[in-house]
Amino acid sequence: MQSLIQQIISGIASGGVFASLALALVLIYNAMGLVNFAQGEMAMFATFIAFTLIDRGLSYWIALPVTLMIAFAGGVLIQRVVIRPVERAPVLTLVIITLGMATLVNGLAGFIWGYVPRSFPSPFSARTVNILGAVVSYQDMGVIAISAVVLLLIYLLLQRTTIGLTMRAAAHHPEASRLLGVRVSWMLALGWGLAAAVGAVSGIMVAPVLFLEPNMMQAIIIYAFAAAVLGGIESPLGAVVGGLIVGLTVNLAGAYLPFVGGDLELAVALAIIIGVLLVRPNGLFGRPTVRRV
Amino acid sequence: MPALLELDEVRAGYGQTSVLHGVSMSVEEGQIVSLLGANGAGKTTTLRSITGGVRWTGDIRFAGRSLKRLSTEDVVRCGIAHVPEGRGILTELTVDENLRLGSHLRTDGADVRKDYDRVFEYFPLLRERRRLSASTLSGGEQQMLAVARALLMRPRLMLLDEPSLGLAPMVVRAIFEIIRTINQADGVSVFVVEQNARLALEVSSHAYVLEVGRVAVSGASSELIGKESVRRSYLGY
Repeated sequence: MQSLIQQIISGIASGGVFASLALALVLIYNAMGLVNFAQGEMAMFATFIAFTLIDRGLSYWIALPVTLMIAFAGGVLIQRVVIRPVERAPVLTLVIITLGMATLVNGLAGFIWGYVPRSFPSPFSARTVNILGAVVSYQDMGVIAISAVVLLLIYLLLQRTTIGLTMRAAAHHPEASRLLGVRVSWMLALGWGLAAAVGAVSGIMVAPVLFLEPNMMQAIIIYAFAAAVLGGIESPLGAVVGGLIVGLTVNLAGAYLPFVGGDLELAVALAIIIGVLLVRPNGLFGRPTVRRV
Repeated sequence: MPALLELDEVRAGYGQTSVLHGVSMSVEEGQIVSLLGANGAGKTTTLRSITGGVRWTGDIRFAGRSLKRLSTEDVVRCGIAHVPEGRGILTELTVDENLRLGSHLRTDGADVRKDYDRVFEYFPLLRERRRLSASTLSGGEQQMLAVARALLMRPRLMLLDEPSLGLAPMVVRAIFEIIRTINQADGVSVFVVEQNARLALEVSSHAYVLEVGRVAVSGASSELIGKESVRRSYLGY
């Protein structure tokens, strides 16, 4: 029983990480109708920036917001410089561009920081606390708390502010939004910035556990894809719920299904992707695509 | 005193296909002007040229200022509200969110609230459905939402693209009544594209009839209604 509670809590913690990255994927999917394959690498790069800031003596709690701001600016810049010129290009072109960007960012990080895994500091103590007899780490609870705060802030921004409203409008109906005076192109850039920042949170949260190196996010992005697809790829709420479900499933499967163990956890995520696409292609929160003829 | 909206030898098209072959029109401040013509005559393209949805040459001036090189967003910010073909309702959002997109650029908070009250007076149904998804509205209700949203932009000129399309005759009447009210009570000039020529001529003071990208006939609506030849050849009733 205790160990089940432990597994659930660390499942929620991983879920928070997946949810953040999945939300980043969803934000950009809504803005350009396509998944950004470079999202994980962008998050990894931002984590390296946080690492450098902390390494230079900045406190974690200053380095975190500074990194998120840099990530935001970087996201906006990428949209303006790389994506905007090819906005109207065929989907395949955009796929190749984001894949190319993933390789480029990965190589750049390797070039600057090298491929030796580094330990990333965690602001939370490595100690544990007993909850209902279960041993829970401060690390897990800290990750849950930070993910929750970030996801809540994004929710409030999108749902409760005018800028969030215009961002959603621009993503769904660019033409109609222009006629209402919405500066669509800038709203899409803001979406990229926001996605980059949320993605960076996932990288920074996971780095103390995984060790920081250029390929750190390559497994995480698969879990995030699974979460986003499960939630219905267009739905921010779906991404969060999907992230939690994937986190819990992967953790519990790893702990209780002997044949899964630690080795096949990634396969569980892929099974979720394939299962959702087969059974419920629009995900939990997606709306079915109706095509009128 | 120049007209509020002037189109001067406007040519426009899509890719290789040209649709408008030198069209000149004007809408005076405070007028309702209707734009009539058969399918494919270029009515929608004329409206889309004004708000920059299609490339054009010639000149379009609004309140004396050329709209050349302005983005759609900037044209709209000059005070033109365009209810496009298909109404441009954002079906992922609620009725209220759609309305808020109409007023999101305004900074005169107190007046905005008054305008909401007035809009809900015109369309009481929208107040009841504020929290619902816009996708749950019927065609007529969506058209009302589109007009209400345009009104909340507090425009000087409203462009309406076939407000009657796909709606029941009763609903069409109601919408045209409100267009007339908006024009008289709120002083908004209106440029309306319409298939229902008789109705459009009834509410408008001037009319243009387009035929394959050229102005075939124009004049006071009351005169056009009376001209047998015009009715038969262009208006189809």
